[in-house]
Amino acid sequence: MMNAVNPQYEREDCLLRPGNTNCGGCGMSMGLTLLGRALEGETYSMVIPACCGIVTAGAYPTTSYNVPVLASTFASSPAFASGVAAVNELNQDPDARKPRVICWAGDGGTYDIGIATLSAAAERNEDLIYFCYDNEIYGNTGGQRSSATPVGARTTTTPGGKGEAKKEIMEILAAHRIPYAATLSIAHPDDFREKIRKALAMSGFRFFLMHAPCPTGWKTEPAESIELVRLAVRSGIFPLYEVYDGTDYRISMEPDGTDPEKYFEKQKRFQGQDIDLEKVKLAVTARTERLWKLAGLSQVDKAASAYSVNKPPA
Amino acid sequence: MIEIRIHGRGGQGGVTLAKILAAAEHREGKSVQAFGVYAAERSGAPVQAYLRCDSEPIHNPNQIYEPDHLIVLDPTLISPAILAGLKPGGWILLNCEKAPEHYAAQARVAAFRIATINATSIAVHNGLGSKTVPIVNTALAGAAARLLGMNLESVINAFSEFGFHGGNIDAAREAWDAVRIQQQEPAPGERHKPAMPRGRGPSILNGNSGAPSPIHTGQWANQQPVWEDATPPCNFICPAGNDVQGFLAELTEENIDSALEILLQTSPLPSVCGRVCPGFCMTQCNRSELEGPVNVRALERYAGDHGEVSIQPQKPRAQKVAVIGAGPAGLSGAYHLARLGYGVTLFEAGAELGGLMRTGIPAYRLPREALDRDIDRILKLGVETLINTPVDHDYLQTLAQEYDAVLAATGLQRLTSLDLGLDMRRVLQGIEFLDRARSGSVSVRGEDIVVVGGGNTAIDAARSAHRMGAHKVRIIYRRTRNEMPAIAEEVDDAIDEGIGIDFLCSPLRISRDNGKRTLSCQRMELGEPDEGGRRRPLAIPGSGFEIPCDRVILAIGQAADLSLLPEDATLSRERPIEQKGIAPVYPAGDLLTNEGTVTAAIGCGREMALMLHERFSGESLLEETPAAETVVRADKIRLQHFERRDRHDENVLPLTERQSFSEIRHGLKNVEEAKRCLSCGVCNSCDRCVTYCPDGVLRREGRDIIFDYDYCKGCGVCVSECSRAVIYMKAG
Amino acid sequence: MNMQLVTGNHAAGQAMSLAGEANRNARGVVCGIYPITPQTEIVEKVARFPFSKGRVIPVESEHSAMGVCIGAAANGARTFTASSSNGLAYMAENIMVAAFYRLPIVMAAVNRTLGPPWNIWADQGDSLMFRDFAWVQLYCDTSQDVADSSLLAFRIAEDPRVLLPVMVCMDAFIISHTSMEIEMASQEQADQFLPDCQIPHRLDSSRPFTTVGMTLPQDTLSHRLELDEAMKRVPAVLDEHRKNFNEVFGRQVAGAVSAYRTEDADRILIASGSLSTTTRDVVDAWRAKGEKVGLLRIKMFRPFPVEQVRRICRDAAKIGVLDRNYSAGTGGIFCHEVRSSLQGTGDQMVQGYLAGVGGGDVVPELVHEVVEDLTRRTRAGEPVWQGIE
Repeated sequence: MMNAVNPQYEREDCLLRPGNTNCGGCGMSMGLTLLGRALEGETYSMVIPACCGIVTAGAYPTTSYNVPVLASTFASSPAFASGVAAVNELNQDPDARKPRVICWAGDGGTYDIGIATLSAAAERNEDLIYFCYDNEIYGNTGGQRSSATPVGARTTTTPGGKGEAKKEIMEILAAHRIPYAATLSIAHPDDFREKIRKALAMSGFRFFLMHAPCPTGWKTEPAESIELVRLAVRSGIFPLYEVYDGTDYRISMEPDGTDPEKYFEKQKRFQGQDIDLEKVKLAVTARTERLWKLAGLSQVDKAASAYSVNKPPA
Repeated sequence: MIEIRIHGRGGQGGVTLAKILAAAEHREGKSVQAFGVYAAERSGAPVQAYLRCDSEPIHNPNQIYEPDHLIVLDPTLISPAILAGLKPGGWILLNCEKAPEHYAAQARVAAFRIATINATSIAVHNGLGSKTVPIVNTALAGAAARLLGMNLESVINAFSEFGFHGGNIDAAREAWDAVRIQQQEPAPGERHKPAMPRGRGPSILNGNSGAPSPIHTGQWANQQPVWEDATPPCNFICPAGNDVQGFLAELTEENIDSALEILLQTSPLPSVCGRVCPGFCMTQCNRSELEGPVNVRALERYAGDHGEVSIQPQKPRAQKVAVIGAGPAGLSGAYHLARLGYGVTLFEAGAELGGLMRTGIPAYRLPREALDRDIDRILKLGVETLINTPVDHDYLQTLAQEYDAVLAATGLQRLTSLDLGLDMRRVLQGIEFLDRARSGSVSVRGEDIVVVGGGNTAIDAARSAHRMGAHKVRIIYRRTRNEMPAIAEEVDDAIDEGIGIDFLCSPLRISRDNGKRTLSCQRMELGEPDEGGRRRPLAIPGSGFEIPCDRVILAIGQAADLSLLPEDATLSRERPIEQKGIAPVYPAGDLLTNEGTVTAAIGCGREMALMLHERFSGESLLEETPAAETVVRADKIRLQHFERRDRHDENVLPLTERQSFSEIRHGLKNVEEAKRCLSCGVCNSCDRCVTYCPDGVLRREGRDIIFDYDYCKGCGVCVSECSRAVIYMKAG
Repeated sequence: MNMQLVTGNHAAGQAMSLAGEANRNARGVVCGIYPITPQTEIVEKVARFPFSKGRVIPVESEHSAMGVCIGAAANGARTFTASSSNGLAYMAENIMVAAFYRLPIVMAAVNRTLGPPWNIWADQGDSLMFRDFAWVQLYCDTSQDVADSSLLAFRIAEDPRVLLPVMVCMDAFIISHTSMEIEMASQEQADQFLPDCQIPHRLDSSRPFTTVGMTLPQDTLSHRLELDEAMKRVPAVLDEHRKNFNEVFGRQVAGAVSAYRTEDADRILIASGSLSTTTRDVVDAWRAKGEKVGLLRIKMFRPFPVEQVRRICRDAAKIGVLDRNYSAGTGGIFCHEVRSSLQGTGDQMVQGYLAGVGGGDVVPELVHEVVEDLTRRTRAGEPVWQGIE
C-alpha cells in the first residue's frame, strides 16, 4: 500500500524523502539532499551501515530513500557494496549506463569499526563511491567519542573534552593511492556537486569526507548547521581539497583567515573550563599547514579573499 | 498505584521528566518506576515516557496503556491515540500558553481535568535547550509536583541527581506558581482501552512496500518559516520615494529600460538626481559594512541617461491644475498629475524651466542637456507651460478660481543676508552669483573670493569662482566639517581643487585700506545643540583676524516667501490650504518643507500630486510609509554570505582639467555596480533557502517560495541562510 | 563415471564452484573468500575456478567475506564461501544477517576447535554456535557426502519455499584433508540439477526499498514467524530435491537422518559427521555378537529432524549420543536436541558421550566403550567424557 506523497518528492533527484525522521538541521540530511541533486539522472543503489543514515530509512516496510538501499552491519558497508558492485559489473549491459553503488557511512563506521573493511575495499580499488558523513561523534547512540572527534570536544565519553587529535582519514585513504578522494562541504553546494560529477566520470574506489554538523550532539542551534560548516571551511578547520591518485593534492578553497574561535563559540561541546582552545587552534593551524605542504604550496595566503565563494547552484 | 504517561518530542526531556518525578517520589518513600520508549529517538519525534509510583513494590514492567494522568509536552500531540486508556477524571497537564478552559470546552477531553503551564516560555527565558527545541522537563516537573500534591522541594532536591541547577530550579519554581488548573469538575466518561497490535506484519520477502514514511514531520515543529519581503533601508529613506532596490535589481539583469521605468514611477528627474542627489540611500546602504555603499547615484544616472521609456498618460480627466514654479517640486507635481490624465499648466517666473536646478547648480555638476532630457520627458505628457509668468498673491487667487486646484512650488525665494558694513557692492548672494556666472554677467578673474556658508550653494559658488579664474577662493564656515550640510563628496572635490575652508569662522565686516579689501572675521567654538540638533556656534571673544578679500559671496540660507499664499494660510503636509468657493492650494517642495534638496522636492511634489488625485478620484496611490522596525539593517544581513566586490566609481575629470564648466563626473561604463546591491529585505530569487533546506521541502514557484509545512521540521536553516532577512521564524 | 581421489576440501570447493558456474545464464556468482586452516584449500580451489560469469573477491576478513556474499546475494547472484573455527566466530555478525535477510548463501564450514587453546583439529563447536542463527546445517560424513551435499545445499537454499542460507559442515582433517575416492559431478550435471538462482527480494533499481532497516516489534515478530515457517518446510524440500538429485546423478545422497540397523535395536547410538562412520563399524561388530545395537546418523542439525528421531528411537530402550562438541556445563549439543525431541514420547534412557572433543581420534575402542557403558547403565547420568580416565 502506497502512502500519498506530494508528487514533487518523486523527482529522481529527491534522494531523501520528506517524512524522514532525522533531526531538524541535520547535516547528514543536507548532504543526502545535495547528493541526490548531484546524482540526478544516475541509476544507483546505496549500502548504509548501522548509523543515523540507516535509521533515516524509517520503519519497515516504508523507506525515506528514493533509491534501493541495503542496510549493512556497522563495519561492513564496503564489503556489502563490493558484492553489490561485483554483480552489477557481471550483469552490465555494454550499451547501458553503469549503475553506481554508493556507501553512505558515518565517522564511526569509517574511522573506527569499519576501517579495516574500508581499507581493504580501497586497496582492491572496488568500483564504489564511499561517503563518510563526519559528525565527529557516535551520533546514533547519543554522542560518544569517535576517532573523528576533534581535540577539545566534549562528548558523553569525554566529559572533559577529548585529549587526542582527530584522525587524518583523508591521508589514510590517500595512502591507498585510490583514484580520487575529496572533502565536501554542505555550505558549498557548487563545489560539492562538481566533485561528485568528477567522481562519476572515474571508476574505482572514490572517497568523500563530508563535514556533517549534528545539532543534537554538538549542542548547536539547528538553524546554524550550514553556517558552522562555512566557518569550518573558512577558518581551515575543515579544509576543502581533493587528492588524485593518492598523491596529487589540490586545494579547492583557501581558508580566508576567519578566526576558528567563531566556529568554536557557536558550539556548546567546545565550552567548558577544561577545554584549552589555544591547543585546539594550534591543531587547526598544524593541519592546515601540513595540507599546504602536501599540496606543494609554500605558504598560506590568508588574505586570499575576504569573503569566500558561496553561491548556491544556478 | 499511580500511573502517568508522558507524551513529548525527542529533545524536550520527557524521559528525564519521568525520572525526575520518580526520584522525587522515591525521596518521599514511594516505590517508583520510570522509563521511556526507546526507538530511534530524533529531535522532534513523538516519544513516550512512563511513571509508576505506589506504596507497594511495583512488578509490572510494561508500558502504561491505561494511565491515571497524562503529561503532554506539546499540545499539538493531543490526539485520540494519546488519550486512549486515560482514566475519566484523570488530569492532563499540558505545556501550552492557553488557559485550561480553552481545552475544557472540547468534547474529547471533557472527561478529564485540564491543567496548563507555558513551560516552553519558561524554558526559553531560563536558557534551557535550544531555541528550536527548548528543554521543558524541569518546568513541567514543578507543575506536575503541584498536581500530584508533592512537596516542591523534594522535586528540586531530586534535580541534583541529574546535575540540574540554576535555570532548571528557577523554571520549576516558576511553573509551580504559574500552573493553571481547571476548576470545573470533569464530565463523567468511559475509559477506552487501547487495542494491542495483533495483526501479522508484511513479509520480509515481498512486503517491502518502498512507500515513503507516513509521518508528517511538520507536526514536530514548534516554529515555522515565513517568507515575506521587508523594507530595504534605501527605499525607506529615499525622499523621492524611489524603489531603489527595485531599479538596482533590474540593472543586475542589465534591464536598463525596466530600471528607468521603475525610477519614473516615482521621480521624473533620474538624470538630475543621478548627478546631484546627496545620496540618502547611500548613507543607509548595508553594503557599507563590506567594501562601501553601492554607488546608487551613479546607477540612477546610468538608467536616466541610457534608458528609453515612453510614458503614456492615462485617459484625460476633467480636472485642471495650475502648478506654480518649475523647480523640482513643481515639475514632479506636474509630471504625476499629467500622467494621471489631469490637465496641467505650469507657471514659471523665469525664462526657462528647472528653477534652481538650472540657475543654481553649476553645469560641471549638472549639464543642461541632462536637465533638458528629464524636463522634455515631462513636457511630452502634455503639460502646458507659461514661462516668464510670475505668480503673486492676487494672481494665485485668480488661478484658484480658474483651475480645480493649485500646486504652489515656488521654492525658497527669500535669501538670508548679513550686514558686512558699508561696502555691500562687493557682496553677492550665492544663488545670484551662480545664475550670473551661468549667464556670463559677472567676472571674478584675479580676485580673492571669500564664500560664506557650509551648504551646497557655498561649495558650488566657490568652485564656480575658481573655474572663472579667481585668484584665490576660500570658504568660511562657522561650524565644523561635521556640521556642513553640503554633500561630502562635493566638499572633498572643492578641497582637491584647491579651495581652502576655514572652519569655526564667522565674517564681521568688509573694510578697505589702500585699495586692498579685507574681511574681518572671528573664531567660533561650538556650544550646546540648537533646536535642529546641531551644536550652536559661539564667538570667541578677542579672536578677530583679517583675510584678503575682493568679494564676498554669501550662501548662508534661503527662506520661503509666503506672501503669495492666502492670508493666515497654515502650511501642512497633511492637508491643502482650503479656500471657500475656490480651489484648494497645495503647497509643495521647499516652500512647504525647506528640506533643500532636489530629491526631497521631487518626493514632496509627487506626494501632493497624489493627494490631489485622491481628492479628485477617491483613489489612493500614496503608499503607506512602512514601519521603521520593518527596515532591514545590517545586523539582519548575513554579510558573511557575500563575495567581495569592489565598488565601481565614475571616471572623473582630472584636477588639472577643471578650468571650465565641463561636467566632472563621466558616469559609469556599465551597470556592474548594481550587482553589489544586497537586496536587503527583498527576495531576489537567490534560492539559497531552496538549496540549503536539509529536507528539500522548499520550492520556488515564480517569485514565491512555497514551504511544505506538512514536512518542514522548523529547523530554521532557511532563515539562517537567507542572506537578506526575507525569511523569518514564526511560532507554529 | 567421473571418479576422483579428492579431499573433503577439494570436494566442497569443486562442487560449490560447479554450482556457481551453473548460474552463468542468470546473474552469475560472487564469492568473498578468506583463508583459515583447515578450510584454506576450499577458497584456493574457488579462486582458481575459471568462472565464465563470476568474481571471487579475496577480502581482508571472514566478516567481509560474508559481507561480500550478502551484498552479492542481495543483488541477485549465487554466492558461497567457506570458513572455520575462529573465522566463523569473527564472521558471526554477518552470518546472522545472511539468515535474517533470507539470503540463500551456501557456506562450507570445516569444523575445527574454537581457540584458545590454539588447536586446528576437528570439533563441531564452531558451527554449532550458530544453531540459533537460522541457517540450515548439514554435517557430512565423507568427501562424497560433502560434494553431493554442497550441490544439494544450493537447491534447498534457493528454493522459494525456503530462502535460507545453508552451512555444509565437515570435520577438520578427518574429512577436509583426507583423500577419498568419490564420484564428482560434471558441469553438465550441475547445470541440470540447479536452476537459475532467483532471489525475489533482491535490489531492484526500478523500485526503491530498504533491505531491511528498522523494524518494529510486531513486524519483527512476523518476520521471525515467517522464518520459522520456512525452516519447517526444509525437511520436505530436502527430500524432494534428494529425489531430483537421484534422477540427475543416479545415486543417493543422504537425507536429514540415516538409520542403520535400528529396526529392532534396543540400543541406538546417535552420531554425526565422521563419528558416524566409525560408529557404523562398531554397530556391525556388536550385531555380529547378536546384540541389538543400531546407529542413527544425524546429518541435518537445523532444522532438527525431530519427527525422524522420535520415530526411529521410539522402540529403543537406551539411546547413546556421541558428540564431538561441548556446551559448557551441560555436555554435548546433539544430545540436548535428542533429549528435547524425545520429550514425552516414552521412557527411553538418553545418555550423552563426549567423544573427540578438541580433535582427538575417536577410535573404535572408544565407541565400543560407549556401547558397553550404555549396555551396563540403568539410568542416564552426567555426560561421559570418552577417552579420559
